[in-house]
Amino acid sequence: MRNTSTTSSSVIALADAQPALRYLTGVDWALLVSAVALAIVGLATVHSASAELAMDYLPRQGVWFGLGLLCLVAAASIDYHDLLDHSLLIYALALAGLLLVFFVGHEAGGAQSRLGFGSFSLQPSEFAKLASAILLSRYLGDIKQPFLDLKGIATASFIVLVPVSLVVLEPDLGSAAMFMPILVGMLLVAGVRGRTIAAAVVTALVLAGAVWTFGMKDYQRQRVVTFLSPESDPLGAGYQVRQSKIAVGSGGLVGQGYMQGTQSQLRFLPARHTDFVFAVLAEEWGFLGVVAVYGLYATFLLCAARIALRARNRAGILLVCGLVALLAFHILYNTAMVVGLVPITGIPLPFLSYGGSFTLMCFTATGLILGVDLRRYVNR
Amino acid sequence: MKVRESREELILRVRFLSAALIVFMVLVLLGFWRVQIASGELYRGLSENNRLRRQPVESLRGLILDREGRVLVENVASYNLLMHRERTKDLEKSLRFAAEVLSRQSEELQSALGRGRSPRGFGAILLAENLSLAEVAKFGVAGFEHPEFEIQIHHLRLYRHGPQTAHVLGYLAEVTGRELTGGGAYQAGDQVGRLGVEQTFDERLRGRDGEQVVVVDSRGRLVKEFHEQPPKEGEHLELTLDLELQQEASELLRDRVGSVVALDPRNGEILALVSSPSYDPNIFSRRLQEDEWLELLEAPHDPLQNRAIQNTYSPGSLFKVVMAVAGLSEGVVSPQDRVWCGGSAKFYNRRFRCWKRSGHGWTDLRGALKGSCDVYFYNLGQRLGIERIARFARALGLGSKTSIDLAGENPGLVPDLEWASHSRGNPWYPGETISVAIGQGPLLTTPLQVAKLFAMVANRGQIVVPHLDRGARVPTRQQAALDPQILERVSEALWAVVNETKGTGRRARVEGLDIAGKTGTVQVVAQNNWVDSRTLPPEQRDHAWFASFAPVESPELVVVVFVEHGGKGSTAAAPIARALYEKYFDHKLKRHSAG
Repeated sequence: MRNTSTTSSSVIALADAQPALRYLTGVDWALLVSAVALAIVGLATVHSASAELAMDYLPRQGVWFGLGLLCLVAAASIDYHDLLDHSLLIYALALAGLLLVFFVGHEAGGAQSRLGFGSFSLQPSEFAKLASAILLSRYLGDIKQPFLDLKGIATASFIVLVPVSLVVLEPDLGSAAMFMPILVGMLLVAGVRGRTIAAAVVTALVLAGAVWTFGMKDYQRQRVVTFLSPESDPLGAGYQVRQSKIAVGSGGLVGQGYMQGTQSQLRFLPARHTDFVFAVLAEEWGFLGVVAVYGLYATFLLCAARIALRARNRAGILLVCGLVALLAFHILYNTAMVVGLVPITGIPLPFLSYGGSFTLMCFTATGLILGVDLRRYVNR
Repeated sequence: MKVRESREELILRVRFLSAALIVFMVLVLLGFWRVQIASGELYRGLSENNRLRRQPVESLRGLILDREGRVLVENVASYNLLMHRERTKDLEKSLRFAAEVLSRQSEELQSALGRGRSPRGFGAILLAENLSLAEVAKFGVAGFEHPEFEIQIHHLRLYRHGPQTAHVLGYLAEVTGRELTGGGAYQAGDQVGRLGVEQTFDERLRGRDGEQVVVVDSRGRLVKEFHEQPPKEGEHLELTLDLELQQEASELLRDRVGSVVALDPRNGEILALVSSPSYDPNIFSRRLQEDEWLELLEAPHDPLQNRAIQNTYSPGSLFKVVMAVAGLSEGVVSPQDRVWCGGSAKFYNRRFRCWKRSGHGWTDLRGALKGSCDVYFYNLGQRLGIERIARFARALGLGSKTSIDLAGENPGLVPDLEWASHSRGNPWYPGETISVAIGQGPLLTTPLQVAKLFAMVANRGQIVVPHLDRGARVPTRQQAALDPQILERVSEALWAVVNETKGTGRRARVEGLDIAGKTGTVQVVAQNNWVDSRTLPPEQRDHAWFASFAPVESPELVVVVFVEHGGKGSTAAAPIARALYEKYFDHKLKRHSAG
């Protein structure tokens, strides 16, 4: 607010005249509405998916939804420049949170990854993703060259590698892997030469081979094998893929009706209120429902991309891109997994899957994106 | 300015990446289109397959009752343990658990699993049968931890009187591959009747299984019924059998080899049909163990054999009844004609002995029947010739099946000239006619045929069709080509056999009851001289027959007793018949006086 843009417009004039309205007029409503609409679809689907369980997850997810909106408003209210200024501190706090789970964390699904507050618990790794994105955008935003040099790539990778290592140690490999879309998305936008990409791909392949041979547990290898030929083990590891595809496929064009999906209501579908919530939606609302929800996701992601395009500076563009890459990867991977296109991993679906920390992270990321947009005319 | 340039490049990259994002989203949507629209029907079918389970609803097999409505066979619930392999998480743990509940070895269940038998309609493997209620309860409680186990209720046949009714009732066994391909209404795993009335009336007794389609959840638990076609229960079967008489006959034959047939000569209703030794058909209800089956097959005297209908024997002196009817009917002898019996006689240059070494002296037809004089009937045989003998034997039911409603009946054999030249391939020797005249030679009959013969004599020539189904429609009051007066005369002579001094059937006599009967003693090994068969080893001793009916004026009961290697008919068989008459008429008198 110290320096207003020289390329002023009537909107800015109005905003300058009435600062309170400035936020409202500058908000990308399409983005916000699509996010809220997705969250409401999510609440309905979680209700249907857990209606047959001992506990209906609707009220809890409603609470997370409310808290998420608060996080969104808070994240949008803070000038992201202030966040960038304190990005190292935020990053350090996130790392401290990750360390804390080793001492006072709860265990869930074989990984010590949660911090508890009463009956609610949080996963610090979700916030570490946001903190990493902020620090990365600060670092990469300051490099004013068309392409990153090796030192820049190495430093950026190091920023991500520290929290990733901690999360891997919990061990929560699925969550750790989700740092990669942030890094890759931001590096690609910041500029990486073709030969560097080629070198990275080769390195990645070699590393993957090494991990397959030395770094993976048997059940993890089994998952990959099962993905490659799910019919090889229809009763064991292939069960989830098979049941998910049956759920999706039996939805047909118009679906079996809300709360009428037999695959989920009769509990054939695993993890149906979390990772496989989209299979429930696909079974009950059919291909039309899938297209509609996909339309909301496309609106959300393309609005966010538009915000990146009109962001004021490199850091803003990079921050939005990192967050969009993270959310887009979640959306694409989860839905592709549900329909059997990629191996099954515990990657939840933004705004639809049940989950506290993840919901808060998604809304906070949305708030950050909106915040970048609100400050597109602020020069700093 | 440098800042702005780098921003422009970033925007280009963002546009490129956005385009890539759209491409990926379209690709995933295509994935959904493929699964939901292109293969929607396939997955809808798989979904139905997941949640809908079809299972047969067993129809209850009909009960089998005796003529008084007493239950002979009933159905009892039995519990089988089934295992759904696909629901097993840890096979070893599951087997350990089951083994512990059943107090058996894991390996035993493992091998049951290996055999992989599964009851019809259940996609599960049969692990164990006949669980106790306590064991069933334990599996019920563990249902949540062990969804792989299912308890199947299955009805078993309980033959209340075991060996006593075994040959009449038969048993149930699993359908064989050949019966399945034979185009019947059977399905793999069905139990079908084997032997006895279980086999004859299988279709009536079995009913038709129903089908239940249920919605199950992922643990296989029933959520709701979807559709049900109720089973058609099998019909009950009321037999002509009199359980008390059957049991009495069975007891009397215990430890002996032979058979007893008792029937009502007025309508052919079989009141008792016993073959000894017998077996317990209940061992077939539980799945038969191999050693039990071998034991049964190797047991002495073949207990599975129904001697009353499947085995044929020489009728011995019983055949003299046929001879008497034939002689009188053909006018070859008159009742007054007498023959000299000096203990033996010579025919065709061969000496034929009478059983009584000292001979019967001058004997007429009545005396010859009463004393069972062989020489008299040798003479009669010679006069009649084999063709006429065979004609009357057939008219009285020998040489063909009686059409009883049991499978496996043997037609026996009535020899004649044609049989000799065509079937045997040896010409008929006149001396054979002499042997046939006293029921020896190639002549063969079943105890049931003898019962039919005596029933026809008793009812003065009306055709009798022995049967066990009380609801059967059989011809009655249909006269065979026989003269009732001649049969009356023969019956009177048979009365004398039992009731007059020197009658061979004296041991069957019951005070106050006019029993008519005939003894028979069949030589097993040809003897050159008069030999007391009691001195021979058991397997060479004579077979003992006694065939009879009572009361002679208006017969109600025919009793035929046959004891293999029992010795003389008069001593081994007649007392058994007497006991049965006492049982039957005593019972009847009591009931009569009470009513």
